[in-house]
Amino acid sequence: MSIPVILFIVFAIVLVFLLAWAVRPPKRVLLSVDDVLNALSEKRHYARLPQILQCLRQDDTDFLYARGQDQLATRLRRDRKRIALRYLDHLQDEYQLLLEASRILAKVAPEVSPMAEFDRFRLHVRFLLFCRYLRWRLRLGLQPWDTFGVLSDMEGDLTLGLEVAATRIGERAALASELPLFLKDRRSDPE
Amino acid sequence: MASPLILRHVFWGLSTVLEIVLAAILIRRKLYRTHPAFLTYILIAILQSCFVATSYYYFGTRSRVSYFVGWDTQVLVICARSFAVMEIAKNVLGKYVGIWALAGRILVFLGLSVLAYSIFSSRSRWLLITLNADRAVELCIATLIVAILVFVRYYRVPMNHLERMLAIGFCLYSCFFVINDSIYESWRRPFADLWNYLDILAFTATLLLWINAARTAEAPRTSASPVALPPELYADLSRKLNSRLLVLNNRLNHFFRSEDSRP
Repeated sequence: MSIPVILFIVFAIVLVFLLAWAVRPPKRVLLSVDDVLNALSEKRHYARLPQILQCLRQDDTDFLYARGQDQLATRLRRDRKRIALRYLDHLQDEYQLLLEASRILAKVAPEVSPMAEFDRFRLHVRFLLFCRYLRWRLRLGLQPWDTFGVLSDMEGDLTLGLEVAATRIGERAALASELPLFLKDRRSDPE
Repeated sequence: MASPLILRHVFWGLSTVLEIVLAAILIRRKLYRTHPAFLTYILIAILQSCFVATSYYYFGTRSRVSYFVGWDTQVLVICARSFAVMEIAKNVLGKYVGIWALAGRILVFLGLSVLAYSIFSSRSRWLLITLNADRAVELCIATLIVAILVFVRYYRVPMNHLERMLAIGFCLYSCFFVINDSIYESWRRPFADLWNYLDILAFTATLLLWINAARTAEAPRTSASPVALPPELYADLSRKLNSRLLVLNNRLNHFFRSEDSRP
């Protein structure tokens, strides 16, 4: 059996697996535009990042070790790590929400920029990988500073991207809704 | 145990009966309104079975005439199948103007790339040229369907049960066809009898999947739903979303400022 023939078979098998993945129902489905908009108005979690970062700092618990309160310091660290992991879950939820909003925008937009969509997709994959990496770092007791910063930046980028897209759609819609009025005015204008 | 040749004939007859049943369901439930290309494909497949059976009856299964009748009609079937897949893509994504424009470009590029790869990497034996072209198109169809379903999943595009089952059926059959053809290309003699039987078996399974989906599918509504959201709704949506995003942005700016002042 030649290599191209083997590649054909492998390709077909990969396609079957991809098909199985693609037809699975998505984990979370936001039903309507209103659901997304309501959710967007909820309190944001990333604003608490400085406190989270502060509580994860090594020197924040060093004084307890210095005073011989090892047990208390260990418990404190464990609790703070747990809180950081929960914070990460919320951060991911918020990101998913923004992504959901961008999908809805793409659905209603009269034109979708391939590059913008590709960038968003790339960002999404990066965010998921960073999230997973950060979780493992936290579980292993490593310092998460840089990665946390990157994740927050990514969420910020997506928000800004959404604003630009929404503004563009708004401009188009405004133009489209003004056009009939303009034509009506012209018709009623007695020149 | 029955030989593959007898089994092939039995399943061939069965698949033709199932094709007729499927066509009848599509017509009775008026699904031809939304899936005209799919119905055409099924009708062409029925006609192909009739032509090939007639040819086998008069000229024998191993005759040159039967060979050409079989493969020439197969070209028509593949073309019809391709149109049916395009119809699925249009039905599912066509309502979303922006996504459809993006998906259309990507699907065309993807389809042509797979087609080109398959043709150039196939062996250039004259005897297998139709088979290789057929495999190339099947691989192209399977790739396109997976790409459509990935788009559907990524953008959370609603897809009804019938469209989903049609897509799954086309994709699974095409993948099976590619594997079956590739094995046949390498071991033609020992595999020849089994090859045709397995192909018909896979197609019969696909037909059963489609019949079940078509039987339970809702009849198409006479009043067509609006293709795109009206501009006023765009304006409303963007205004709402913009205000929410502005709040988010302000909070984000606040967070950046507080991060700067971090010890």
